[in-house]
Amino acid sequence: MNRSVLSVESLSMVFGGLVAVDGVSFEVGEGLITAIIGPNGAGKTTVFNCLTGFYRPTDGKIVMRADGHEHRLERMEGFRIASHAKIARTFQNIRLFPQMSVLENLVVAQHNDLMLASGFSVYGLLGLKKYKRAEAASVEKAKDWLEKIGLVEMANQDAGQLPYGSQRLLEIARAMCTGPKLLCLDEPAAGLNAAESAQLADIIQYIKKEKNCSVLLIEHDMSVVMNISDKIIVLDHGGKIAEGTPEAVRNDPKVINAYLGEDENELEVDLIAPNLEEEVREHP
Amino acid sequence: MAEAAGSRQRDLAFYLRDAGITALMTLPIAFPMFGFYLIMGSEGRASGVYGTGVEPRLIWVVIAVLAVFVGRLTISFVKNDPAVTVVTEQSVIETRRYMSETIGPWTGLGLLSLAILWPLLPFVDRWLLDLGILVLTYIMLGWGLNIVVGLAGLLDLGYVAFYAVGAYSYALIALNFDLSFWQCLPLAGAFAALFGILLGFPVLRLRGDYLAIVTLGFGEIIRIILLNWYEFTKGPDGISGIPRPSFFGLPFTNQEGVVTSFHKYFGIEYVSTHRIVFMYYLILGLALVTNAFTQRIRKLPVGRAWEALREDEVACRALGINPRNTKLTAFAIGAMFAGFAGSFFATRQGFISPESFTFIESAIILAIVVLGGMGSQLGIVLAAVFLIGMTELFRELEQFRMLAFGAGMVAIMVWRPRGLLTRREPTVSLRDNRGAT
Repeated sequence: MNRSVLSVESLSMVFGGLVAVDGVSFEVGEGLITAIIGPNGAGKTTVFNCLTGFYRPTDGKIVMRADGHEHRLERMEGFRIASHAKIARTFQNIRLFPQMSVLENLVVAQHNDLMLASGFSVYGLLGLKKYKRAEAASVEKAKDWLEKIGLVEMANQDAGQLPYGSQRLLEIARAMCTGPKLLCLDEPAAGLNAAESAQLADIIQYIKKEKNCSVLLIEHDMSVVMNISDKIIVLDHGGKIAEGTPEAVRNDPKVINAYLGEDENELEVDLIAPNLEEEVREHP
Repeated sequence: MAEAAGSRQRDLAFYLRDAGITALMTLPIAFPMFGFYLIMGSEGRASGVYGTGVEPRLIWVVIAVLAVFVGRLTISFVKNDPAVTVVTEQSVIETRRYMSETIGPWTGLGLLSLAILWPLLPFVDRWLLDLGILVLTYIMLGWGLNIVVGLAGLLDLGYVAFYAVGAYSYALIALNFDLSFWQCLPLAGAFAALFGILLGFPVLRLRGDYLAIVTLGFGEIIRIILLNWYEFTKGPDGISGIPRPSFFGLPFTNQEGVVTSFHKYFGIEYVSTHRIVFMYYLILGLALVTNAFTQRIRKLPVGRAWEALREDEVACRALGINPRNTKLTAFAIGAMFAGFAGSFFATRQGFISPESFTFIESAIILAIVVLGGMGSQLGIVLAAVFLIGMTELFRELEQFRMLAFGAGMVAIMVWRPRGLLTRREPTVSLRDNRGAT
């Protein structure tokens, strides 16, 4: 069994009187793909925002193990979670730098490495070779990722002009350019067609296998989740209701209830989770 | 065909009505502005009126209304002429890209050569030389503010505060510690940068309109402190007798003294414009340094982080970019260049008072940056030449020259809503890199 890269212990997040996340604990195994699923409003994105420093959790403990250090995320500044604890993330509604070129988006992501290599830009200002080498290396790294996601031809275009699916992939590539140990993807398949979803699944597998990076993702597209995840965590109403392999979660009666409702005759299920229902039917 | 002719007919009626409404709207504006002529005592006596009187001149109102009517009608016809309107949105964009790609660099080079040769041109007299210095000062301020507004996207309405800090730093240090211009210049820059950080800290969490309001307040605070701290700044009296810069230790003076002056050292006749020409090249040099610095830092991690911050601050945080440090460097470096420009202003004028650093100065500098096209270095030059040059050319119109300034702004906003030059050159491109490796 792999050791865990991220441990979350009784994480709670309360907004005013609303308990969005209520004492959730889970582990993210090193080198594994972990998925968080759950109906709308289950608290998935809130958990993500707590992990990546956008919310300060009301209670709980989050430990990230990177480079032999233990980082306590619940008290870290947001940008340090990316730079020191090595957690990169993408957003549900894509957040690229739309007026900067595709290549620039990937080079900006290597900001901290470049800052160090350029003596906080001073070497660069003086025109020293050292910075030029570092920049060339960062462009190489960016180019590798562009080849991987098939956007080399678009490298000099504005990122905002890319088609939607390419923007999703570019955002993942940008997150990977920060050199993370854990990549958090917030609904990466949202708005993608079947072919793009398949490409996305390939890239997530590639990140896991070749880049030595663990992946934590929120996803509604069950075909993606069930195929690539090593472990699935199911949230409902701010609490964890199940955890385990895709096979185990799929057959868990509590999960089926959460998605399909207690009364199996309710028709709204089609709207909530058609994919899961299919999965359930195919593998009873 | 009949249908086309019919729409043409309808168009004519529509145009006439449109022009009529516009002309009608001119009436209440033209009436008080052109309709009356103020007669002063002596003029009035000739026409039999004593003292100050008002003479109606309604013919001018009629002329204005007719001019607007005809003008509006002409615009409507020209705009909707099929021969003119074949230009599609796409082709406009293509043409602009082509123009900025091919003409852009040449315009830059041409303007640079013109700037270098300006004092040597035969028709350039003292007035045009002074105008050149003024325009260059605004270009430098525009380039400095461009770092904060254009690159980092932090809307700063109090930029003139740093200009004032630079000017007062230079004046006070030079007078109290007897240091030369070249010794004071970096100090003034450093003080202004310090104030930039001082302003930066409280506004770190603010964005857009809120940031603009706080920076506006900051600009006023600095001006009011300068006005009221009499013991230190001499308040509204201002500081006079600020030392003039020397040509590497050789002063521009005709006075007989111990020191060797510029004209004696080079064995030439004393000409008073030598100092002005030197001033001109000084501000040209300072402005070019600002430009070179900005061009270079854009391609460095800090500069890219500024632009990324302008695009999306949340994404920046997720990428591990420290938003606090990035914003503070932008404020500090932008303020530093304003400080340099302020020192130059103090040494050129020889006299400074808080009146030179009012809000309107901030507004003009910001207008130059916005009208130039946010982030475009060449656009700022064009906007500064256009706006400052225009107001100075119309100086004879006295109080109406601000109308020229306003007209210039309106014209740019109508023709180029996003500024004169909007194309953004990527800081790194893959083709270049392939060529290199």
